[in-house]
Amino acid sequence: MTNKTINWIDRRFPFSSFVKHDLTEYPTPRNLSYWWNFGFLAGFVLVLQVATGVFLAMHYKADAGLSFDSVQHIMRDVNYGWLLRFMHATGASAFFLVIYIHMARTLYYGSYRAPRELMWWTGQGLLLLLMATAFMGYLLPWGQMSFWGATVITNLFKATPFYGEEVVTWLRGGFSVGDATLTRFFSLHYLLPFLILGGVAVHLIALHTVKSSNPSGIDLAAKDNIPFHPYFTSKDFYGLGIFLIVYCLFVFFLPNSLMEPANNIPANPMQTPTHIVPEWYFLPFYAILRSVPDLVGGVVAMGLSVMMFAFMPFLDRSRIPGGASNRPMVKLGFYLFLINMLVLGYVGATPPSNQTILIGRVATLFYFGSFFLIPFISKAEERWLIKRGLPAELKELMEREAREKIDLPPHRRAGDDK
Amino acid sequence: MNKFFISLMLCSFVSPVWSAEAMLETFKVDTDLPAIARGVDDLMNNCHSCHNLKYVTYLDLAKLGIDRQKIDGWRGDQPMDAPLASLMSDEAAMQSFNLVPPDLSLMTKAREGGASYVYSYLLGYYNTPDGVTHNHIFPATKMPDPLGMSTTTDHAQREEIRKTAHDIVSFLSWAADPHEQERYRLGYYVIGYLVILTLLLYFVKKQIWSRLK
Repeated sequence: MTNKTINWIDRRFPFSSFVKHDLTEYPTPRNLSYWWNFGFLAGFVLVLQVATGVFLAMHYKADAGLSFDSVQHIMRDVNYGWLLRFMHATGASAFFLVIYIHMARTLYYGSYRAPRELMWWTGQGLLLLLMATAFMGYLLPWGQMSFWGATVITNLFKATPFYGEEVVTWLRGGFSVGDATLTRFFSLHYLLPFLILGGVAVHLIALHTVKSSNPSGIDLAAKDNIPFHPYFTSKDFYGLGIFLIVYCLFVFFLPNSLMEPANNIPANPMQTPTHIVPEWYFLPFYAILRSVPDLVGGVVAMGLSVMMFAFMPFLDRSRIPGGASNRPMVKLGFYLFLINMLVLGYVGATPPSNQTILIGRVATLFYFGSFFLIPFISKAEERWLIKRGLPAELKELMEREAREKIDLPPHRRAGDDK
Repeated sequence: MNKFFISLMLCSFVSPVWSAEAMLETFKVDTDLPAIARGVDDLMNNCHSCHNLKYVTYLDLAKLGIDRQKIDGWRGDQPMDAPLASLMSDEAAMQSFNLVPPDLSLMTKAREGGASYVYSYLLGYYNTPDGVTHNHIFPATKMPDPLGMSTTTDHAQREEIRKTAHDIVSFLSWAADPHEQERYRLGYYVIGYLVILTLLLYFVKKQIWSRLK
């Protein structure tokens, strides 16, 4: 593009200043590790899912009588339809894997701390949208697991006070999961990704306001920041290459390992599968649901278990930045929490027995217990670390943060006195 | 960092699918045309009278390279793009078995254990001392022993039945996922391409970052 054209555009749209502000001169901490690649990867998978999904929708039929056949039509007759479908189905797993790592990084390094709370909360909203999209998409092949998974999950809305039955019927568009449920799930499955795209824009605007956190947890001086392009574009693309290798191994060689065999049987409302399991990315939350003997309690526990992350900025009372890199208790807690997640995932995948129910309950208690203990542990850990002596640069940053808090205008403004 | 990706891959290979309770016979699918051709032949003789393969058409068989004369014999006056519909109507099946025999197009993908399950199931028939036929793998089955495994005692004949089951399941594996071999072939190129691309991207990244002091 010639300068003339760019000038023409710039007079009408802030093109050059956007590229400058958000790409070529966007300051990024130079010490970001590869764990900071996953936000970009999540964005890439989102685009991949939308692109493959749009083409799948051209061949898919949202109709209880036709959808299973139309998926087979895609798998057999459509040119490279099998590739589109396996990319999309594997993409769903890849999306969750990338997002969970992205979240784990935030928790590990304490990136949710001020001033990045809004990033964390928009991310939490995006996670909920992603979960809803994945859940609705799973109904579309209209296999046994699709049907019964949707039946079990919509049934949970019976826990709604007073209007439980009505809400379930309203959600399904009938007394049981059927054609009306399928068509509305398809419509919403096509809509929600665009809401996610909007949410991602908000997430990125917030990011470019507060800038990236970094492993040290300290806001770096200008000399330690480098422009995003070309340093992080090259790093992100290298990471993308690694991601694509893993992703394509699954798409081409192990696509069925991520699919439930029962979903190759057309949905049959008259026959319940012996063991209904959700996709792997829902297993820990499913385990928490099943660990509570009461329906309402289980639903509340499951909802809370996803939402607990949003409270992290309040729960973490420590003023020491940098998360696990400066705080041994965070590191220990992080790994214990991760192991607990795997245990919950295992419990969610196995049929309930006395033993797994017990393990599930202990793990559920540990899950919530760890969140409730964070305020006390973080405070105690801070006292202990300060007593032990902090590195000079950390001390300096904490003092600066404390000063800035005092400098902030008081919450009540002069005019509010009455 | 490498450690992370290796452990990531190892974790990914742990499948959440548990194997069925009964011990399945280890089975390796044959993907060469002669085995699949024998398999479809055996299937037409032993299974097709009751079971549909609604997602496989005679044209698919012809495209795969199955002998055209055989196909014409099976399809009779049906068009080439007709599916491999069974000879038995659903009503007749309901009368004899009290259920419609399941469609076989996706059978090797629709059971835990996949092809090994179907193979073990076909060979899993046995007679109790009081002369009742049962199946190890699927005790509640209503399908009569199709290959005669329960009544055959001669070793050579049993081996013959094993071979037949092997061919049938090889054909069913093709029918469940006809693009599987194409997928693998393409996969090697894609992974090869990506490995080279990623190596180049790594050097680009290294080169660019070396500008930093």
